[in-house]
Amino acid sequence: MAEPPSIRLLMWRTVFVALTLLVFFIRLLPLGEGAGGVPGPDVLVVLALAWAIRRPDYVPVLLVALLMLLADFLFMRPPGLWAAITVLGVEFLRNREQGFRDLPFLVEWGMIAILLLAMTLANAVVLLVLMVDQPTLGLTLLKLIATIMAYPLVVALTVFALGLRRAAPGEVDDMGHRL
Amino acid sequence: MAKDRGSSEDYVRPIRRVLVGGTVLVLLAVFLLWRIDSPRAERVRAAIVDAVVPNMQWALVPVTKAANMVAGFQSYASLYEQNQELRRELRQMRAWREAALQLEQENAKLLDLARVRLDPALTFVTGVVLADSGSPFRQSVLLNVGRRDGIRDGWATTDGLGLVGRIFGVGETTSRVILLTDTNSRVPVTIQPSGQRAMLMGDNSALPVLEFIEYPEQVRPGDRIVSSAEGAVFPAGLLVGQVVLGTDRRLRASLTADYARLEFLRVLRSHGPGAIREPGALIAPETPPLPEVELLADEESADG
Repeated sequence: MAEPPSIRLLMWRTVFVALTLLVFFIRLLPLGEGAGGVPGPDVLVVLALAWAIRRPDYVPVLLVALLMLLADFLFMRPPGLWAAITVLGVEFLRNREQGFRDLPFLVEWGMIAILLLAMTLANAVVLLVLMVDQPTLGLTLLKLIATIMAYPLVVALTVFALGLRRAAPGEVDDMGHRL
Repeated sequence: MAKDRGSSEDYVRPIRRVLVGGTVLVLLAVFLLWRIDSPRAERVRAAIVDAVVPNMQWALVPVTKAANMVAGFQSYASLYEQNQELRRELRQMRAWREAALQLEQENAKLLDLARVRLDPALTFVTGVVLADSGSPFRQSVLLNVGRRDGIRDGWATTDGLGLVGRIFGVGETTSRVILLTDTNSRVPVTIQPSGQRAMLMGDNSALPVLEFIEYPEQVRPGDRIVSSAEGAVFPAGLLVGQVVLGTDRRLRASLTADYARLEFLRVLRSHGPGAIREPGALIAPETPPLPEVELLADEESADG
């Protein structure tokens, strides 16, 4: 960190953490659908991607890594792998954030879908190579589709309800740096 | 990690790259550790869950309660239908209860009759199963009663519930019981209520085959099978089992006797004219001295 982050930045990061914890909370509620249900979307990764493509400075690497690792531990996934993949996905978007500013939403959505597919594939391949038991292909695909479908909803929530928007051309942050 | 583009970009980028790479490496290391030493990692996971989840308990409880309350209200809607269904079932149960009472009376009467009719010679000796021959070709068990106890070839054996088999070889202190499931077992039976006669032929499966039924169309699965006195092998009326339809479309008998747990067997004394006419099976075919048998009947409590 070159300089202390501003209050606004901290506030947005807090909102991100709060949203993530809210998702944890809902997932942990003992209202489980039990076995055989349709797998729900992975809201956490969608949230991280949706924020990373808009305001990457609100989702710092360490925060994402920590939250996703916690999610891995809490939701009985192999710890670390999906977190690492999510961090890579977020970084991928972060590095290209300026190029995405003018994209129509449908294109953005399609790109996120491809990114999610690649992430799922990477996850599956690593698990396959290390011979970890995996859920069936059908369930994985259903989850991927649900996750992709959830993306517009999460974007709508963050954009319209929370007012998170992309940096406008020429916008500067509180310290006067160009975004 | 405030992202700092612009003037500082040139030296921030490599640092960022190191940071991201390091993070990813740490995460992958965690994953590899989990893969290598899963039990320990799972303990760590349990500790983390243990630390995190109770913190949410205060919020989890009311939300769960509320959700369960909603579910409870939803179940009120189906209460009326449930009530109706229960009433219907209750009516049916009343009819069944009436039938059960009548059957109980009938049963008492029949038992009374049976006791009158019962041959006093049809007492039994109880033996303990010593060994269970597990061979697939011989379905038999060994009892700890033998010739010393007056056991004779061909006597029927039950386990208190249903027919198990018959004595098939008597030693001085032991006897062998050939089970109904043995391939050599051929027992005449009667199928109630149609009264059809059949042969129960063991075939080494758990369900012996019913053969030589005169009118198979009168026999339905679920009919009772009792032993018949035909051929004077067995006393009549011992419960054998129920008719079932095998997967091979043959009528078979589901035996009442608990073949999985043969511990104590009753050997029924029968002194009919019915000595067995199988030449090989008879070990002591001759002269049952009657006084001795009565003596043995007196000793029976000691034996059993």
